[in-house]
Amino acid sequence: MATQYEIPVGAQHIALLEPLHFKFSTENEKIIDTTANVGYVHRGIELACCSKFKFRQVSFVVGRVCGLCSISHTTAYSQVAEKLLNLDIPIRAKYLRMLVIELDRIHSHLLCLSHVAENSGFEALFMKTMQYREFSMELLEAVCGNRIQYDFSIVGGVARDLKPAVANSILERLNHFKPQLNELVDIYENNWTLSLKNKGIGILTKEEAMRLNVVGPFARAAGLAVDVRDETEDLLPWKAVGYEMVTDTTGDVFARNMVRLREISVSMKIIENVINGLPESPLLIETKAFPEGEAVVRLEAPRGELMYYAKGNKTQVLERLKIKAPTFSNIPAMAETFKGNEYASAPAIIASYDPCLSCTAR
Amino acid sequence: MKTFFKAIGNLAKKPITTKYPFEPTFIPDDYRGLIGFNADLCIWCRRCEMACPPGAIVFSQAMDGQQTYHYNRAVCIYCSECVRSCPKEGAIFQTAQPAPCALKAENINNGWNKLFAESLESRNIYAAEKKRLTALKAAEAKAAKPSADSSEKSS
Repeated sequence: MATQYEIPVGAQHIALLEPLHFKFSTENEKIIDTTANVGYVHRGIELACCSKFKFRQVSFVVGRVCGLCSISHTTAYSQVAEKLLNLDIPIRAKYLRMLVIELDRIHSHLLCLSHVAENSGFEALFMKTMQYREFSMELLEAVCGNRIQYDFSIVGGVARDLKPAVANSILERLNHFKPQLNELVDIYENNWTLSLKNKGIGILTKEEAMRLNVVGPFARAAGLAVDVRDETEDLLPWKAVGYEMVTDTTGDVFARNMVRLREISVSMKIIENVINGLPESPLLIETKAFPEGEAVVRLEAPRGELMYYAKGNKTQVLERLKIKAPTFSNIPAMAETFKGNEYASAPAIIASYDPCLSCTAR
Repeated sequence: MKTFFKAIGNLAKKPITTKYPFEPTFIPDDYRGLIGFNADLCIWCRRCEMACPPGAIVFSQAMDGQQTYHYNRAVCIYCSECVRSCPKEGAIFQTAQPAPCALKAENINNGWNKLFAESLESRNIYAAEKKRLTALKAAEAKAAKPSADSSEKSS
């Protein structure tokens, strides 16, 4: 019988972006069992949102839950608060929200791809992807006024308008990015060195994905067609701006890379459609009402389905706010997918999950 | 092989990063920067203070009723919620200027907490004093009224 070793990875480790702890049981370099611990960054944001801050201020607090999907959190909270207030926000605000969500998706996916390349041992591709990612950060800064904390969605609409000069620069920079994206697709798809660490590694089958309730690009790479943008039409008109489902079949690290790269081109198409067909209307709708009742909102963040639940009691402060982040749904599948892989492949697999622990632990 | 030759070719290229302290970085025209305040236009309604999510704005009040605006750039999150809540346009506004770094000498955290508590206290003291004066005035008026009545009666 082969000797078994227990190898801890995390909560602080060079292969990890986030404070996440994995304990691998290995047998001759093969991982046979994994346990995960995710509660290292608990900050008590939910309690703060229900005690210290008024309901209008909460949209700025939840933006600080996560740096990468800040706009998804603010938008989801704004939508749930609007449901409690029975507000129907102007159409231009909806389109601008979609624009910023998709720009955010481009930068988040490129960050994840660059870290897959880095953890697979391809440092040069990491640098290249990060170099190409910079345009999306600058566009977000031009649209929202800040690189990371967008504070763009507020209860009742959006905070800023899109200037025509900024809209033109977005279209221009997207056209400039298209050949760069093709270059990245070519490298991620055809590079032999990268394929050694990516193809056939960390496979999650469609049946397992369905059983373990996986969301986001992780599920779509396994062939499971789940996307909130495909399912809901009432809050943001995704289909009207040309949303397309992107799926793959193999469910390995390579498939996840490909799904993310193809989703970037879908996002670029959505951004172009939003800018070309931006309707004219006011940006913000004012109300003096207080939140009352219960509401649930789902939104597709870059990592998958984000769910917000809120309960109001006709006062300035909410009674309850619950955030369910996409990574939280993916944890069982994360632990499952390692089984049967080489220990040396673990960093690339972890990066390909795109885990966001500050969202999960809040 | 293609990637290898490309990597060799890149050695001759210029770096694509910005040499930040020597060259300016990209800052858009409407960057969310420092919050400005115009005391001449302000109507002292304190709505910006109530709207501010992190509590970076506070008004203190002197005994003559004059309010003073205090702002902490290190606590501020530059969300411009104060600007949206302001009923008087131009009294509080957002500039495109990035905030300078805080220095140790400024004591920006503890000093601010102390100032915040003191400002609220100064307003409470002023409100209490005003209440006391109003009550005193009312009592004087009450005391003066019967005497006036009696004087009327006597006359």
